[in-house]
Amino acid sequence: MRVRFWGVRGSFPVPGRQTNRYGGNTSCVEVEVPGHAPIVIDAGTGLRQLGKSLVRNGNGLIHLLISHTHWDHIQGLPYFSPLYNEGNELQVYARQPGDTHLGAVFAHQNDGPYFPVPLESLKARVQFNELLEGQQFAIGNVHVRCTRLNHPWIAMAYRLDYNGKSVVYCSDTAPFRDILLEHEFIAAPPSAGVPLDKMHEIQLRMMREKLVDLCRGADFLIYDTQFTPAEYEAKPHWGHSTPDDAIAIAREAGAKTLCLFHHAPARTDDEQDAILATYKHLLRDDDLELVCAAEGMVVDLAEGGS
Amino acid sequence: MRLDIWGVRGSIPAPGPSTNRYGGNTPCVSVIDANGHLCVIDMGTGVVSLGTAVLQKALPIAQDFGAGAGEATVLLSHGHWDHIQGFPFFAPVFIPGNTLNIYGNARSADRVEAVLEGQMNPQFSPIYTLKNLGAKINFEGIREEQCFRVSNLEICSMELPHGETTALAFQIKEQGKTLVYASDVGYPSGGASNAIIEFYQGAEVLIHDATYTPEEQEERRYRGLSSYLEAAAVAHRAQVGKLVLFHYDQDHSDDIVDENVRKCGQELERLGAGQIEVVGAFEGMTLEI
Repeated sequence: MRVRFWGVRGSFPVPGRQTNRYGGNTSCVEVEVPGHAPIVIDAGTGLRQLGKSLVRNGNGLIHLLISHTHWDHIQGLPYFSPLYNEGNELQVYARQPGDTHLGAVFAHQNDGPYFPVPLESLKARVQFNELLEGQQFAIGNVHVRCTRLNHPWIAMAYRLDYNGKSVVYCSDTAPFRDILLEHEFIAAPPSAGVPLDKMHEIQLRMMREKLVDLCRGADFLIYDTQFTPAEYEAKPHWGHSTPDDAIAIAREAGAKTLCLFHHAPARTDDEQDAILATYKHLLRDDDLELVCAAEGMVVDLAEGGS
Repeated sequence: MRLDIWGVRGSIPAPGPSTNRYGGNTPCVSVIDANGHLCVIDMGTGVVSLGTAVLQKALPIAQDFGAGAGEATVLLSHGHWDHIQGFPFFAPVFIPGNTLNIYGNARSADRVEAVLEGQMNPQFSPIYTLKNLGAKINFEGIREEQCFRVSNLEICSMELPHGETTALAFQIKEQGKTLVYASDVGYPSGGASNAIIEFYQGAEVLIHDATYTPEEQEERRYRGLSSYLEAAAVAHRAQVGKLVLFHYDQDHSDDIVDENVRKCGQELERLGAGQIEVVGAFEGMTLEI
C-alpha cells in the first residue's frame, strides 16, 4: 500500500513562492494498492494533477472517498480529466448529507452559472454511494471503515486496511473538548470557563472514543493540524486541530506514524518547517514517528517499509 | 486611477514553482480612483491578497475597512467559480460596518445574490449563508449594456460571448482615461463584432483574455476563451494604448506565458500596430492610468 499526496492545504488553494515546498493545492490523497483501482481521498485542487497522471495510464475505475463537501475537499472534481473520457467510472463515497441526496450536492458544483459542464453531461459514469457513520465496506480487497468527526456540518474519517497495513485519514476535525460542532452555525467561540452542556460532553467523548478505535494500531495516520495552539484558542469553533491534539490521539491509539496535514493557507513553508521541528523535538524519545504532508510526497507501507 | 492585479489564472488556481512569476491565483483586479474609492473586478482567489492589503492599509484607499467604515464596488464578469471563489475569504466582508455593492452578470439583483448565496450553502461553506457575513452587501443585476457612476468612476458594461453563456466586459473611465477589462471572452471565428471593438476603442489599457495559444484555440473554440492572437487583433482594431494579457490557462507555465507574450508582440508588429505595448499580467502588477 502506498500513499501519495496531491494536495495538503486547508481552506483555499494558495499559489506562490512561500508554498512551493509543501504545496498550495487543497486536500487530495491517493492510496495505491497493487493491482487495484486507485482510491482517492478528497477532491481538492490537488485532484487536477492526479487526474492528468491517471489518464496517462489509460481508463478505468476510480474510487473517491470524500471526508465532507466543504469547497477545499471537492473543488478539484470539475477539473478531473478522467471524467471527460468515455469508459471511465467514478465511484464517490461520502456521508449521507441528511437533508438532500449526495448526488444533488455534487451536481450543484457543476451547475450553471458556476461551471459550463453539468454532471450528467460528463462522459464518465459517476455513481454516488451514501455512507452512514460507523459503516464498514469493501473496495475490492481494501477494507474501509469510517467514523464521524467534530466539524461544522460533520466530516468523516476513513480507515483503509489492506494486507496487514493500514492508513487513517482524519481531516477535518476540532478536538473533542470545547465545543460540539454539528449543524448549527456558531458565530463566536464559547465563553471561557462556561462548562459544556452535559449531553454535548457525552457526545464528544463517544466521538473521540470511536476515532481512537478507528486509529488503533494504524501504520499511517493523516491528521488535520491546521492550527497552532494559539490559533486554536481564538477559533475553537472552526473545526480544526493542533499537532498536540493529533499526537494525543495517535499515542492513545498506538499509531506508528503521524502525518501533519491540512496546513493553514497563510502558513509559509518556513513556518511549517518550524512547526515540524518543534514537534519532532517533543517526540524525540517517543515511538511515534512524525512527518509532515507535502505535495508529491510518497509513503510506502509495503512490508518492512514505513 | 490606479490598477492593481491580484489574480491572473483561468479556471482553477494553479500553485507550484512553474507559476511563481505570473501567479497561480484566479482573476482579481482592483481599481482605486482619485477619491480613494475601491472598485474590485472579479473575486477569484487573488481577492484574498487584496483583502489583506486593504486591512494592512497598503493601498491608497480613503476609507478604513479595518474599522468597518469602508464601502467598495465589486464588478463580477460572470458566475463561473474562478471569478467568485475568493469571495468567502475576502477579509473585509467579515467586518461589520463595511459595505460591498456587488454588480453581477444577471437579470436581477436577486439572481446575483442567489449565485453568491449558492456558494455559502452549509454543504460547502462553514459560513452557511451570506447573512452571517459582517458586512452589508447590496446586489445589482446588470443587463447587456449599462452605464453608471460610482465615486469618480464612470462604469459601462457590455455582455460578451463566453461559450454557451456570456461574460461582462467593463469599461472604466476617470479624468478622460479609460481601462477596459475583457476576461473570458470567446469571439466567433470571424473575430469580434464592430460593436465590441467600439466598446474597447481607444482604451489606455485593455486587460484581455489570452487563455490559449492559437493551436489550442483550434480545438477549444467552443469553450469561449481567446488566444493571444485574438487579443492582438482586437487591440489593433480598437487602437488601445497598452494590451495586458490575462486569464492564463491553468496548465501554462511562466515560460509558456513568456513565449505567448512575445508572440503576441510579434503579431502586433505584423499588423502594423507595433506602437501598442503588450505585457503579461502578473500578481503584484500596478499601473497608473
